[in-house]
Amino acid sequence: MTAQAMAAEYVNVRNIRIWMAHGGEGQPLLYLPGTAPEFDDPALSLISQDFHVYRPHHPGFGRSDEDPAVDSVVDLAFRYLDLLDALGLDRVHVAGLSLGGWIAAQIAVLAPERVAKLVLVCPAGLRPPVPVPDMFTMDVVELAMLVHHEPQVRKEAVANMCDLAGDTERFTRYLRSRAATAHLGWNPYLHDPKLAGRLHRVRSEVLLVWGAHDQLLPPECALAWQQALPRSRVELIEEAGHRPQAEQPAAFAALMRDFLT
Amino acid sequence: MKIFGFHLMPYQGLPSEHLDSTNSSWVTLSNAEFDPARGHELYERYIGELIAYDRAGLDGVCVNEHHQSPYGMMPSPNVIAGVLVPQTSCQIAILGNALPLRDHPLRIAEEVAMLDVISGGRIISGFVRGIGAEYHSFGMDPSQSRDRFYEAHDLIVAAWTRPGPFEWYGRHYKFRYVNPWPRPLQQPHPPIWSPSQGSGETVDWAARNRYTYLQTYSDIETVRRVFNGVRAAADGYGYTLPPGQLGWALPVCVADTDAAAEAIALPALDTLFNKLIRMPKDLFFPAGYTSAASAARIMASKGGLGSGMADVRDLVERGYAVVGSPETVRGRLEQYQKELGFGVLCPMFQFGSLGHEDFTASLTLFAEQVMPALRPLGTA
Repeated sequence: MTAQAMAAEYVNVRNIRIWMAHGGEGQPLLYLPGTAPEFDDPALSLISQDFHVYRPHHPGFGRSDEDPAVDSVVDLAFRYLDLLDALGLDRVHVAGLSLGGWIAAQIAVLAPERVAKLVLVCPAGLRPPVPVPDMFTMDVVELAMLVHHEPQVRKEAVANMCDLAGDTERFTRYLRSRAATAHLGWNPYLHDPKLAGRLHRVRSEVLLVWGAHDQLLPPECALAWQQALPRSRVELIEEAGHRPQAEQPAAFAALMRDFLT
Repeated sequence: MKIFGFHLMPYQGLPSEHLDSTNSSWVTLSNAEFDPARGHELYERYIGELIAYDRAGLDGVCVNEHHQSPYGMMPSPNVIAGVLVPQTSCQIAILGNALPLRDHPLRIAEEVAMLDVISGGRIISGFVRGIGAEYHSFGMDPSQSRDRFYEAHDLIVAAWTRPGPFEWYGRHYKFRYVNPWPRPLQQPHPPIWSPSQGSGETVDWAARNRYTYLQTYSDIETVRRVFNGVRAAADGYGYTLPPGQLGWALPVCVADTDAAAEAIALPALDTLFNKLIRMPKDLFFPAGYTSAASAARIMASKGGLGSGMADVRDLVERGYAVVGSPETVRGRLEQYQKELGFGVLCPMFQFGSLGHEDFTASLTLFAEQVMPALRPLGTA
């Protein structure tokens, strides 16, 4: 199949406008980005060959409205159930990257009957069993260095972040997402101490995908997820850090396709 | 003009490996570098210096709150204020309690009321947000800082002025019983000051509430612009801003000659501005601490305070500090007062590495040869 064109528009969800790209052929897939949804996802065009993808900017992030009802990932998961209702989608695959993985897991905890299969990519949400760096003390360039392992992608990402400060509109949007990330994950740092004790509610099959060289949330974090989700499977992507969708898009999309179809 | 002696109580005695590095002096500098015995000597010295402000005839002293840094050893300004109450007779300005860092603002209402009652009504209560680094130190979500500040302020003022008990169910703070004992002695409550670096929102808030606005660490052009902003905001709220509602806090050093004052002040200013304030921008301005638009402007700018790269002589020329002989300091402050119209001055005679003898000499020259000329200014 050829890459499908994605449309992007605002969807009204209980008076909050959520900016969402959607398109592609196949079963519906709610595809939740990480902390910076305003950046392109190189795997998106590949994934949309096999699925009808819905990729929102989280409320408060990127181009979406502030949502005064959202103070936590639990609040955000409730809002995404409202989004599924607004879209008339009863049951979907849910995939989430980084922060989006945390949200995806929380959705599956709240409404297990609505999640067909669940993919968690380098997810935040559980307390890492090893010391991890604090993303909130880093500037945009340091963070780009940390989250990419593949040298060429890292180089381009760093160059992109160096240019960002000169583009006020894009930089402001990025900083808005960063503030929204702080609101959800400042303390406790990028996790919810109650999530592990609730993951037994997840009923769907779960695939955990981790960049083998993730330095933001190292692959050891997968052990905590496997303890809480005994039937889940882990796939490591070689030559990738925290953003396998950008660093190894083909391998990443193939894993998604094999697991979800 | 009212004159309040400011003190930060900086820790002195950091190893040169840290001072000469580019490492942060906030949040991550290990407290293993804090020698408690040295700390004891410094507290004794600094408390004596605050008392010396009173003895020298200043109108008051200023203490403030900072955390996890050698920049200042006053994580609790209320503790130092409590130490000063029985040893002074002047006003004590707490500049200020960092409201959003607290989960329990009623504790601030109680402590300030206690100090006010014990001191016989000598307390000025400053309220601040706390600097960005402190949101790391306290694990406090910086994106809620301004909202929490406003609500904590409203709660504290209500607790001081409305007969209790009453209920408070706000977005950030929820209490079934608000009913603090004691209530403050000053009625309706102690004067409230608003120290700031000049954000538009704070300027507007201070003017709306008729609180004294205090500008800290700024070049003279910024002070001018911000003070004009406060005046314009007051006009907008239907009153003419009195000089006593404008204050300026800055390092001041007086010696017999300009050259002698510079020799004392410049190395100490270098310690203050380039070593003790030094931290990465993402600590200074954490995610959500300012609006995204302000953050984009701040992050895109190079240098600035905190970068560790300021030329201190240039800072003095731009008005971040006033340094010189009694004639020079008097002339500059008279000129600035005439141009800027402030009625409150908070000089800091100890800053950075400045020693006790230089402090004493500087304060004495100021009190005897500068202060009398300033007193009649800014009173109308």
